[in-house]
Amino acid sequence: MSWRAHGMRAWVLQRFSAAYIAVYVLVILVYLVPNLPMNFLQWREIFAAPVMNIATLLFQIALLAHAWVGIRDIIIDYVHPVPLRLVLMTGMSLLQIILTVWVSMLMFSVVRL
Amino acid sequence: MKFRIHRFNPETDAKPYMQDVELDIEPSKMVRDALIRIKAKDETLAFRHSCGEGVCGSDAINVNGTNALGCLTRLSSLQEPIEIRPVPGMPIIRDLIVDMEQFYHHYRAVKPYLIRHDPEPEVEYRQTPQQRDKLDGLYECILCGCCSTSCPSFWWNPDKFRGPAALLQAWRFLADSRDQATDERLRELDGPYRLFRCHTIMNCVTVCPKGLNPTKAINEIKKLMLKEMI
Repeated sequence: MSWRAHGMRAWVLQRFSAAYIAVYVLVILVYLVPNLPMNFLQWREIFAAPVMNIATLLFQIALLAHAWVGIRDIIIDYVHPVPLRLVLMTGMSLLQIILTVWVSMLMFSVVRL
Repeated sequence: MKFRIHRFNPETDAKPYMQDVELDIEPSKMVRDALIRIKAKDETLAFRHSCGEGVCGSDAINVNGTNALGCLTRLSSLQEPIEIRPVPGMPIIRDLIVDMEQFYHHYRAVKPYLIRHDPEPEVEYRQTPQQRDKLDGLYECILCGCCSTSCPSFWWNPDKFRGPAALLQAWRFLADSRDQATDERLRELDGPYRLFRCHTIMNCVTVCPKGLNPTKAINEIKKLMLKEMI
């Protein structure tokens, strides 16, 4: 994806990821929150199920895409000096990638195949 | 009635200031009438106006913090002191007059005219009444600039974001059944800036003196882009 092509594609990505995030959060609210507080074993039981495991991984990826477009929008609006913009965008991308790797490691470590 | 008017003469003033003016005027008159009377007393006051009935779009000003046409804003609807400033976000030439070049640049950039690739027809271009109806709410724009100059996205990126007025016109020609440049028009608007700086803040809809809805037009462009993409 080129920088220029990031208009429509980014917009679509943000909307689709928002829809997925909304559904995931709803599911969590309905199935997980009523069982709180839960211990680690109970938590692992829920996230070890492949469906929940993959859904959570997808959630993190959707969050990555959604936040990337959103924060990029804020940076484009408010941060005009190019070097500062580059630093912020790179920092933000790194943080997002680290979070995604971390969530992936968590999910891979508990999945029951 | 009490007025506070933005004054700036680049030849004599180091920076702009607000001038307090008292004027004996009937509240049923418009802001433009008040400005004309103030100018009669102090001819150094500079502001644009022409038709006086909301058709020419020359007298866009900021009245008590809201963009409006001086000729359509009744004095009785305003709280005193009535603060009159130039529309925000544009370079000020003098008093209430701003440089609209940036605004017109974006208007020109959306190619606000019919583009045909087929040969000219022998008779006039034909449209069904339904096709013509699609242009209602779009062609009425008088290019006063109230919308674009009230749009925060336009303040943040005035050189790159087309702004609500130009985008309304972009949709006016995309929606026109006679136009054949849909692809070119959409391609020109893609990218993070020209169209997609709109965050549906909708100041444009609030201030439009003609009651038009640029936000809806912008969403229609996005929908068409999505349709063309899939």
